Amino acid sequence: MKKVININFQGRIIPIEESAYDILRQYVDSLRKFFANEEGSDEIINDIEGRIAELFGETLKKGVTCITDDDVTRIIDSMGRPEDFDDDEARLKSQLGNEQKGPEPATADTSAAYASAEPRRLYRDENHKVLGGVCSGLANYFGIDPVIVRVLFLVGFFGFGIAFIPYIILWIAVPSTASTAIGSQRKRLFRDPDDKIIAGVCSGLAQYFGLNVWIPRLFFLIPFFTFIFRIGRWNIWDFNHFLSVSFSPGAIFVYTIMWMVLPEARSTADKLQMKGEKVDLNNIKNTIQGDMEGFKERAQQYFETEVKPKAEQFGQEFSSTVRQRGRQFSTEATSVARRGGRGLGDIIALFARIFAYFILGCVLFGLVAGLFALGVLFTGLLPAKEFILNNGWENIFAWGTLLLFIWVPVVGIVTLVIRRIARMRGNSRLIRSTFLALWLLGLLSFIGLLASLRNDFRYVNHHDEQNITLANPKVNKLELRLPSDGRYYGSHWFKIEPFTSFDDDTVFVQNMSVRVVKAIGDSFVLTVVKTAYGRTRKEADDQASRISYNVSQQDSVLLLDKGIAITANEKFRNQHILLTIAVPVGKHIKIHENIGWDHDIHVGFFDGDADW
Amino acid sequence: MDIQNTQSQMRKGVLEFCILSIIRQGEVYPSDIVEKMKQANLYILEGTLYPLLTRLKNAELLTYRWVESSGGPPRKYFVMTEKGLAFYSELEHTWKELADAVHALTQPADQAQQDTNPNQL
Repeated sequence: MKKVININFQGRIIPIEESAYDILRQYVDSLRKFFANEEGSDEIINDIEGRIAELFGETLKKGVTCITDDDVTRIIDSMGRPEDFDDDEARLKSQLGNEQKGPEPATADTSAAYASAEPRRLYRDENHKVLGGVCSGLANYFGIDPVIVRVLFLVGFFGFGIAFIPYIILWIAVPSTASTAIGSQRKRLFRDPDDKIIAGVCSGLAQYFGLNVWIPRLFFLIPFFTFIFRIGRWNIWDFNHFLSVSFSPGAIFVYTIMWMVLPEARSTADKLQMKGEKVDLNNIKNTIQGDMEGFKERAQQYFETEVKPKAEQFGQEFSSTVRQRGRQFSTEATSVARRGGRGLGDIIALFARIFAYFILGCVLFGLVAGLFALGVLFTGLLPAKEFILNNGWENIFAWGTLLLFIWVPVVGIVTLVIRRIARMRGNSRLIRSTFLALWLLGLLSFIGLLASLRNDFRYVNHHDEQNITLANPKVNKLELRLPSDGRYYGSHWFKIEPFTSFDDDTVFVQNMSVRVVKAIGDSFVLTVVKTAYGRTRKEADDQASRISYNVSQQDSVLLLDKGIAITANEKFRNQHILLTIAVPVGKHIKIHENIGWDHDIHVGFFDGDADW
Repeated sequence: MDIQNTQSQMRKGVLEFCILSIIRQGEVYPSDIVEKMKQANLYILEGTLYPLLTRLKNAELLTYRWVESSGGPPRKYFVMTEKGLAFYSELEHTWKELADAVHALTQPADQAQQDTNPNQL
């Protein structure tokens, strides 16, 4: 007794036994998985389903009341199961690819075509593995003898002990060839449209990692919370503030990129893939355990069948070479050299490849990291902007530089890498040209900004020395110091020279030098020169005259201002104070430590008698 | 060396060529292709044929039209495009060369078995 259900299959109502339906559904699912990576997979499934429906129709026409298990099995047999056309598929495809390239001699390189069926991917080789199949997979991928890779890894294991880590990583990260077989479909990262708030990125991530959906959401939201909680309380150079400022755009940034890059799981096949097999530790453990079980036998077998005969052969060859050295030296030598040369060539080629990828990876990583750092730095510098830039074009240029010239390539490279890793196709040209256009725009604004800034700093003012009268210039000893607990004193972990501190509308620039020279008379003389730059000589003069810098005297101590105050209206035009202290011969000058010798003070000359 | 594997490789190599030559003769329905090939003693699974047709169609070598059928879903009939014809004649040329070469090589030894398999590097 069996339950019969009606299904709507390709637009027809089919009465079918429930168990037969299960078989059919499993079959179609397996097809879906098999063709999932294929272009036009929906169409293929549709065609096959259509044909099955037709065959059902024929069966029903014969007068049976419903489709039975046997009918379904018979039809499936005639259509073929994915296992049956697994290999054939790959081969046919590669042949098609080859022939489309052009009428190459048909006898050439079919084996190469077999090996590189599909866009080439790195797999662990299930059929020729000793431990995890990593080495043979690598060898396959680079088209060299697995022995070479094994030797390299062994040297790495025992010689340096470091090859262990890459091996484990590759073991875990690289899919096994077995995973291409049916039923062990790998998971893919999709956006989940069924459970979305904005674009389904978080729910897709949750699906991928088998998490509850609120976990990724929380991760994306945390930066915003901290930012909001701290608002109104933050200090501009506070580390936490810095973090939340850079993280909340960071979260948006990551989210936006994933939104752009990840496909939405639309079809059923996508959704199946999205849920796929769980990528969790348990699974990895199972894989490794499975691999380990056969390890001993395989290693033994490998040594028996491969290494031992080879060693024996080598021994024979070696002894015979030695014995027949005189007679056969030339022929043996050439053949050995040829063989050795090929092996060596392979190794060199492999190293060259690894090296090239490594360099490329480093360059890309460096580029992204550098640009990212630059972007964060510039974003952090934004408060300083109004003290440097004029409103209007310069501002626009600055924003253009920051967003387009610095951030766009970061987004672009990250997008590219993710798309490559996720093997995304389509639209790449559009995306690339969009990024390029935006970046060119950024480059233009960067050039504009530089040109404009260059203009702002074109002229320097007329230098004129002003004497600062000292109360008692004839003292024996003079001391220079900054107010130790002055208004602008503070040490921050993040300090951008020459800016030392910000107020709402004033910035203090520590941009002064002290020069010590020999005095002509017997009294200390203090002169000050103010310099500034501007678009015109006149503007530079104005800027310089606006500098207010005070030196106050308490007995024999000269107190210097900590910095030059610049308001947002005045702008930073490299205002600079040069103090010259003439020290009479035989008298002392002490420069207090808090001025710091490292970069603020430049000593032009000092008398041998001075001591500090 | 697995003889079945080699044999199936040999067959697969010419499969596409055979399918194209059937379609070249006129509009066909996929299961007719399977039938015709079966008559010629070449066996192909329908499950292998459909993806192949889709690929050829996506490569613009084939095109199709829907034909209503009595008491079933509409059927896809495949027909060759101009591009497909050009492609086919390339294949035909290659096939003739290959056949001649294989013939010339195997005739003296009078043994046409695995030696033709080019898969030995």
